[in-house]
Parts: sequence; structure tokens; C-alpha cells
Amino acid sequence: MQLENPAIVAFILRRIALSLVTLVLLSLMVFFGGQVLPGNVGRAILGPFADEASVQALNQSLGLDRPYIVQYWDWISNFVQGDMGMSYAFRSPVAPFVLDALANSCKLALVAFLIVVPLGILGGIVAALNVNRPIDRIISLGGLSVTVLPEFVTGIVLILIFSIWLDWLPVTATWPEGAGLGTQLYHLILPSLPLFLVLFGYIARMARAGMVEALDSDYTRTAVLKGLSWPTVIRRHVLRNALLPTITVIATQTGYLIGGLVVVETLFRYQGIGSLIYTAARGKDFPMLEAGILTIGVVFALATLAADLAYTLLNPRIRLGAET
Amino acid sequence: MSALDSAAEERSPLRELIAALGRSRTFLVGAAILLFWIFCALFGEFIVPYDPLADDIINSLLPPSAEHWFGTDQLGRDVFSRVIVGSRDILTVAPLATVLATVLGTTLGLITGYFRGLVDDIVSRIIEAFMAIPVVIVALLAIVALGPSTLTVITVIGLAFSPIIARTVRSAVLAERELDYVAAAKLRRENALYIMFGEILPNVLPPILVEATVRLGYAIFAVATLSFMGFGIQPPSPDWGLSVSTNYGMIGGGFWWTVLFDSLAIATLVVGVNLIADGVAGTLDD
Amino acid sequence: MKDYRLLDLLRRSRTPHENHLIDGLVDGRVSRREFLRYGSVLGLSLPLLGQIGAAAGLGLMPGSARAQAAGGALRVAVDTPTGAIDPVKTPDVGGLVMLQQTGEFLCMDGQDLVLRPMLAESWKPNDKGDVWTFKLRKGVKFHNGKEMSADDVAASLNRLADPANGSNALSVFKGVLSKDAVRKVDDLTVEFHLDAPNANFPYLVSSDNYNAIILPADYAGDFEKNFVGTGPFKLEKYTPKVGASFVRNDDYWGDKALLDRVEFTFFADIQPQILALQGNQVDLINQLPVLAGAGLLNDPNVEIISIHSASHYQIHMRTDMDPFKDPRVRRAIALSLDRDKLVKGLLRGRAQPGNDSPFAPVYPSTDTSVEQRKQNIAEAKQLLEAAGIKSGTKVPLATQRFQEVPQYAQLVQNAAKEIGIEIELNVMDSGAYYGDAVFGKSTWLDSVMGITDYGHRGVPNVYLSAPLRSDGSWNAAHFKNKEYDTLAAGYVAALDLEAQKAAAGKIQKLLLEETPIIFGYFYDHLSAVRKGVAGVEPTAMSQTFLARASKK
Repeated sequence: MQLENPAIVAFILRRIALSLVTLVLLSLMVFFGGQVLPGNVGRAILGPFADEASVQALNQSLGLDRPYIVQYWDWISNFVQGDMGMSYAFRSPVAPFVLDALANSCKLALVAFLIVVPLGILGGIVAALNVNRPIDRIISLGGLSVTVLPEFVTGIVLILIFSIWLDWLPVTATWPEGAGLGTQLYHLILPSLPLFLVLFGYIARMARAGMVEALDSDYTRTAVLKGLSWPTVIRRHVLRNALLPTITVIATQTGYLIGGLVVVETLFRYQGIGSLIYTAARGKDFPMLEAGILTIGVVFALATLAADLAYTLLNPRIRLGAET
Repeated sequence: MSALDSAAEERSPLRELIAALGRSRTFLVGAAILLFWIFCALFGEFIVPYDPLADDIINSLLPPSAEHWFGTDQLGRDVFSRVIVGSRDILTVAPLATVLATVLGTTLGLITGYFRGLVDDIVSRIIEAFMAIPVVIVALLAIVALGPSTLTVITVIGLAFSPIIARTVRSAVLAERELDYVAAAKLRRENALYIMFGEILPNVLPPILVEATVRLGYAIFAVATLSFMGFGIQPPSPDWGLSVSTNYGMIGGGFWWTVLFDSLAIATLVVGVNLIADGVAGTLDD
Repeated sequence: MKDYRLLDLLRRSRTPHENHLIDGLVDGRVSRREFLRYGSVLGLSLPLLGQIGAAAGLGLMPGSARAQAAGGALRVAVDTPTGAIDPVKTPDVGGLVMLQQTGEFLCMDGQDLVLRPMLAESWKPNDKGDVWTFKLRKGVKFHNGKEMSADDVAASLNRLADPANGSNALSVFKGVLSKDAVRKVDDLTVEFHLDAPNANFPYLVSSDNYNAIILPADYAGDFEKNFVGTGPFKLEKYTPKVGASFVRNDDYWGDKALLDRVEFTFFADIQPQILALQGNQVDLINQLPVLAGAGLLNDPNVEIISIHSASHYQIHMRTDMDPFKDPRVRRAIALSLDRDKLVKGLLRGRAQPGNDSPFAPVYPSTDTSVEQRKQNIAEAKQLLEAAGIKSGTKVPLATQRFQEVPQYAQLVQNAAKEIGIEIELNVMDSGAYYGDAVFGKSTWLDSVMGITDYGHRGVPNVYLSAPLRSDGSWNAAHFKNKEYDTLAAGYVAALDLEAQKAAAGKIQKLLLEETPIIFGYFYDHLSAVRKGVAGVEPTAMSQTFLARASKK
């Protein structure tokens, strides 16, 4: 029913258009940024000790002697049609690699989300109901502290504790080929924990702030005055309003989760989109690199869009169109 | 929005801020941690039991003992001495990167917020495209392209963080530019540069200060992470991220002391700086 | 006891080169190991070499260990191949291990660096050493059912020698074997017409040249689809970036593989491979860097297979730039290193000290009478003083993040500090270090001082030319020395082991004097297997031959 509001439709269209502009800019930055990387492609594939004649023969067969602008146009026009191009290094289509890696990253992100969202919100609520008491302090400060720790630091400590000393969890995220869902989850617990720690503080803080505000608001007071019981008030009024900002945080953090996994994936040797980009950058496998980054860009844009939409639809009071 | 930018406030805001910070326990704990590491960075060299760079390759990978409190690393260097002196590089690089980001971001934020319109749209799109790539990847590409050096790390992190600061400054400026004193300056036909830097800037300093302390925390995070990925500070520096990076490959061999103490050192420093940021933000908000 | 009558019998129908070698063995100028190795290059068959050795009173060839049990599957951890598996282009360890699982070479260079027949039964040079004739094995079948013939061999090697194909083997064949120089004589005989005499040519078509697997003549560039080859295993499944599995080839020309299947899992890094071995998820780690593997060296459940090799790191010093223009300065740096301590500490004893020339202890032609350079700080300081170098002189050293190179660089830095030279490190990503790998566009080739990784080679020929000759394409030291060039060319052409040794001795002495490159140590190739696994045959080239492998 809200979608009938022309202001909202216009807002959504505008957001989509802006996202597209962002993606085009991103593709340009990635493509031309990639050209700055030292070394040339044939050299990266054949290694430093290959003969220069071999390198040039290979570069020619990859079409790398054409002008950059032609190469860019070729790539982007195919990309838009769903063809991500051929990997230089693997000489096979990029798409399966990128999609596999994205699926892996999504699995990892999903596990992290499944743990962090309920716990984060719960933590926020508990803190809000005990404002300025010790338990609130512990959750708020503790959450803040673990949020700001680099993933590799928490990852190392977690590996030491759970894999080396206790020997409970495997140290690599990659499960044996053909493993069932249970085994996959078992391998994903440890790598998802650093992500959990980063996100827990954010989500708990947002949930706490939303909750405190809601508890303090007129409608809560009215509801209490009307004689509704506390649990009912919290369930019906407070929770809904407290969750609103939390949703936004979750949506914006999706971008971080999918894209910012490089470190976790490196630490746990996980074949996700982050490690795909990292390897591609080092090997100058441009089609792979560009497809990887642009895919992250698309995910990021979609997540931001979703956050905006969710926020707009749940909270009609937002100043439509006034965001610039 | 903070209360300090109200034009009516004429008592020395700085002195008041310091007094308030002195009452903030969060701030004091953070400051104590930071001061400890600053002390180590400046004087650690003179108090550690061993030269942190001196190898003793025959005595490599010894576990912690009375002689080597934190054990020895791959080259037989004393881990305790390295952890103490290891704060030096990160405490040089991260603050410099933050200063660069703050200067750039503030300028960018003032310009986009003040002029709005087309300039704002273009710059905002570029910023958004930039922010769609994870910072680590941006930094990684840049460092692969430019070669790893302390200067590159400072530049890359400075550039990568400036859009975020610009965003904060821009929204503060958007509120300020509607106020009377800006209109008055415009009537006086002051030039835009003066209005931005002479009139608006002093009034948006508090949010910039908060943002800068928060960014410092992230800069430490980023420098450590880049060192860990092998793209930051160069050996033989006892830098923590670098040490973890070179040693964690052996973690399965049970040589935990080569990574644990460096990891904990990073953790304390990052938490310390963030406590400071929290303290500053809390004080300005009250 | 020497049996001269038997020796006479064995000498019949041998060429002058071969008889000269036998003389050397009998006189004691050539050791048994050298004899086996060099005899194999000349194409003497192993049983014959064994008989000659026995007749000369030196005992028989060591018999290969008997495998324990047949059947089962072996799980192998190997580095992820960096690109498509392509016999023509593959340059990396993960890729070359894949190639040799199904592909085979004309001859094989084993753990002892002795050439053994594989797809060729025998080989022989002409008197000049510029035409080599290889007799091929009969009844060898490709996995697609087709029988292997001289056409396939000629096509496979001509393909690698053709510059238009962007082949990775081109740097090995350059100046040795040109396009179309491999000719079919009859169905089972091929001739290699070389650009110049080359005494060690068979190494270049052995497993040492890991690209030189024999493919069908009509190979269409799609190796990854079927891994077509002639080997004891054939492809079951290959998934890029994940792994590969192979099953026994029941049509194999030789002894059938003992294992039913082998499963390879690709790993991006060594640490998870170690954990997987410890956790019994794999049985074998193909290649174990000593530093990362420190935790495995004393693990009671693990056996380390250690092979001496010629793999090393070259520390080059720009002979045309200050402060290294003066050879005394270069010698001083070389003298500052304590090589024994490096080997014992950094390499945990799994290496052999180098003597600042490519002549590694593993090569039979190395002149071992040349004195080993040892640490001598006093002499180093004197040399610097004589050269007018002030204490505190700064020198930048660029290198790559690869295995123990950064650690080695730091030890070099500390050693140089002792004689008053301040080395400033710049450790970078391998890609950035090599750059375009041509002069003017490569940190490696343009830096004042650098450390570069050189993988094993069965013969030192490539090490002697590309990094050291005046026209060498990897001459990072910019070393230009006419006398050296002549000596190096002489070494390569020398057909006879003693002549090679004599040339080697001269080169070793010249390089000790000039020291454009420090060769600190030659590190062993290490593989790790779980207890109960037997018959794994790694090579110094990082290959792993599994036909004789078994698992309890």
C-alpha cells in the first residue's frame, strides 16, 4: 500500500539509478586501477623465468595488445549481458569461479549472521532494560571492545584456543569435498566467530539505542498508563521500534560481510570471494579480479538499497528525497 | 549534534572539555593504555632485555622461559623485547594516516557540504563507488601497485578513510550553512574559502574531533591488518602485525608464543584508542 | 676386487666417451655416484652401469625398496595450481605435479639425480655431441588407446621449442633446441639436432624439464579435459582450485601402479597442509618448506623424505653500481655470512652450504677441491677498508615474500651490520619483485642488491648462462666478464666428465674472486608422509611419482 505513494516510488527509482551510476564508476575504477598493477599478464601467468618471446606470444593470444578502452568496452558490454569473461590464468569462464566463491562467502556470512543477529539483539535488549547498571556496562563496553579488534587478532586467539589447545574445531574452513551440511557447518563455526565479534558490538549497540529511545517514548508511557503488562508493552510497542535501526545496521553490514571477508578467508584458507580477489590481484588475472570486485559492488549496492527500502517502508516519517 | 557549537557558549570550551574528560573513566582507562604503549615506543629500546633485532638462529623457537619471558621466534630473537618495541611503527603510521585522512576528509566535506549541487553529486558518487570496495582490497591493490613502504601505507589509509570523514563533515556543514552567521558572512561578500574554513570549520570541530579519534582506532586496525596481509611495515621491524603474519604459518607446530603476545598487544592498543574515542564522544554529547 | 676380463667384455661396442668414463671409474678419478649419474646421461642403461660398477668392484646399484601392499587410495596435499593445467605453459609446482601424474617423459631424473629410461629405452650422442638419438619404448599406449610413436615425441618437443606457442620450456631450450629440430627417423627413433654441442642434453627432455611430457601428435590444447598421457594413472576427475583424482591405468606399459587411486587436494598455503597431515586428512605433503614445517620435523607419526637438490636463493650485487663495483666489497659481504650456522639454524640441517657458484654439491661435475668460503669478519672488514667503504654505508636490498627468503634477508642484514654495512630491506610481493622480468622494468633485474629464488635443475647449465653470462637475460648482477663467458661455454660443450670438472673448477675459482652472486646454501627438497606410506618417489623438481607408492 505504501508503494502507491509516488514519492516513495520516485525515491526508489532514484536510489536504483544512483546505484547504477556507482557501479559504472566502480567498474571504471577497477578496470583502469588494475592496469596500474606492476608486471604484465603473460609474465604473471608464465612466471619470471619464462622466455620473453613466450610472454609476448601469450599476451597477444589473450588480446592484451589492444587499446585499454577497447578492452574495457568489450569486457563491460559482455558483463552486462551476463558473460563475465574468461580467466587469463585458468583459460575458462570466470563466472563459475566467482559464483562458487560468492556462494562460499555467503555461507560463511550466513552462519555468522545466524549467530550474531539473535544474540546481538538479545544483548541490546538486556542492556537497555538495565541501563547504566553493571550488566549494561559489560555488554556495551565488551561489545565495543571486541568490535574494534582486527579479525586476524581474534582469529588467531580463537584458533589457539579451540583448535590447538582444546582441539575441538578444525583450523581450516575448507571442508572435505562432498561433505554434508553438518560437516560444513562444523568447519564454518570457527571462521564465523571473528565476524560475530565484529558485528556483535554494532548490533547490540543499535538495538540498545533503539530500545532505550522506545522505552522512553510517549507511546510506551501511554501503553503503561493504559495498564498493559510490561512484557506486552515490550513485545507490542518497544521491540518493533527498537528493531528498526537494527535492520538498517544488519543490511549495511551485509556489504562488509560479503566483501570484507578477505582477512578471515586468508586466515582460514577459505575459498570465498575475498580470497578470490586477492589471488586474482596478485596473479593479474584481470577478468577474475574485475568480476570479483564488481560482484561485491553489486551485492553492496543491493544490500544498501534493501536497507534504504526497509527503512523507508517501516518508517514513513523519513524525509523522502531529501537525502542529498 | 553537540551542545558546544551553540554560539552562546563563551566559556573556554577546551578547558571544560579537558575537565570533563578527566571525569570520564572510559577515557582515562583508554588513555592509560595508550600512554603505556607510547612509552614503550619511545623508551622500550632502552629497557628491554635483548636487542629486538639480534638473531640467534641456533636458539630459535624456544618456548617461554625465565631467560626469554615470551620465548624466541624463527630467528632466535627475543619475543618479549620485540613486543615491547613493536609498538613504534604502528604508533607512527596510524596517527599520520589519521591526520592525512582528517585533513583531506574535512576539506572534501566542507566543499561538498557548502556548495552542494553538481559538485556534491559527483563527489558523493565517487565516494560511494570507492566505499563499495572493502578498504583492505583498495589498500591491497594500491600497495601492490606502488610497492610496500611506510609512506604508501600512510597515503593509502589516509585516502581510504577520507571519504568517511568527508561524509560526517558534510552532514555537519549542511546544518551549519543554514545558520545566520553564514548568511551574514555571505552578505558581507566574504569569499567562499574564508566562509568554509574561517567561519564554518571552527563550529564543526567537535564532530571532526570525535570522528578523528574513531578513525585513529580504525587506522590502527587497518595498519595491523595490512601488515598481517604482508603489505605494510617492512621487516626486520618487530611490528606486531608483521610478526603475526610471519609466524602464524607455524601455528600447527605448537609455537603459540610467536603469535599470541603480538596479537594481545594489538588488541590492547586498539581497545585503548577506542575507549578514548568513546570517552571523547560521550563527553561532547553530554 | 676388479674383474678386468668382465670389464673388457662390457667395454666392447661402447663409444670413446663411454669408455673414457669407465676408465675414470676404474682409476678412481670418478666416484661411483658420479659414474652412475654421468653414465646415465650418456645413455648407458642402468643394468649395464650396475654390471660395470660390479665388475669394477664397487658393488651393485641399490635395489629399489619393495612395496608393502597393493590397493587402497593415497591422499596428497599439493599447492593449488596457479592456472590452467597446460603442458606447454604451466610454470608452478601445483601444475607440474598434475602434469606428471598422467604424463611421462623420455627419461626420468630420480631422487639420486641418475637418469632412468622412461618412454625412451636408450639414447646416445654423436661424437660431437650435437645430435642425440633416442630409441623409444615399444607398446606404449596413450590413455585414449592410441599407440605412442616417434611422431608424438617429435610433435610434443617441437611444440615446446616453437617460440610462437608461448611455451614455458623455451627458456630451457633457447640456444639448445630450435623449432623443428626434433626429427622422426623411424617409428621408434627420434633425433635431436641441437644448436650447439651439449653434453647434458638428456636432462632437458627428462622429468627435469617438467613441461616435456609426451602428448599425442594431434593434441589440441585441451589437456585439462582428459589429462591424456601414457602414465600409470589416468584422470578420474579434475576440479580447478579444488583437487583431482586419478585411478590405476591397467593398460600401463610397465609395472602397474600399486594403489587403486590417488586423490589430490589443493591448498593455497602450507599451514593447512601441515594441519591436514597431522589430522590424518592427507597422507602426503608434496612439498614442505623447512621453516613452516618446523613442527613436523620431530613428529613421530610423520616421516620426512629429504632429497639434496640444487634449489637455492641467489643474492645478486650490481657489479656496475656502487658500492658493489669493487669486487672486494662483494667478497666482504659474502665473507660476513656464517653458512654453517645458516644451514644448521635457518634450514634445520636440511641444506648444503654454497660456495658462491652454481656448482652445488649435488652435481658430479662440481670440483670439490675448491676451498669452501667460510665466515671471516676480520678479512671482510679489511677488504672494505681497502676498498674505501666507510662504516655505516647504506645499501638497499629488494626481495620477495617467498618461503624463508624474508628471514634469510634479515640474517644477511644482521651479518652485514657486523662489518659496518647497513642493509635496508624492501620485501615485496613476488609479482611486484619480478615485475615484467625484463631489464628496466623489474625490481629483480634492476635492484642494487636482491634475493631471488631459483628452483632445482638437473644440470647447472641454465644457472651458468642466464644469471651470469654477459648476455644473460636474468643477469641481475649485471656481471660482464669475457673470461667467464668463455669458460661457461666450454663447460656446456665439454662432453666428458673430467673436462667438465676441470672447467667447473676454473669457473668456481673465478666466481669466488668476483662474487657477483652469493650462493649461501642449496636447500633440500622435503616431502612429508604419514607413517605407513611407502614407495613415494619425490624429485628435487618437486614432482611426486606414485606408481610404486603404497599405504598400510
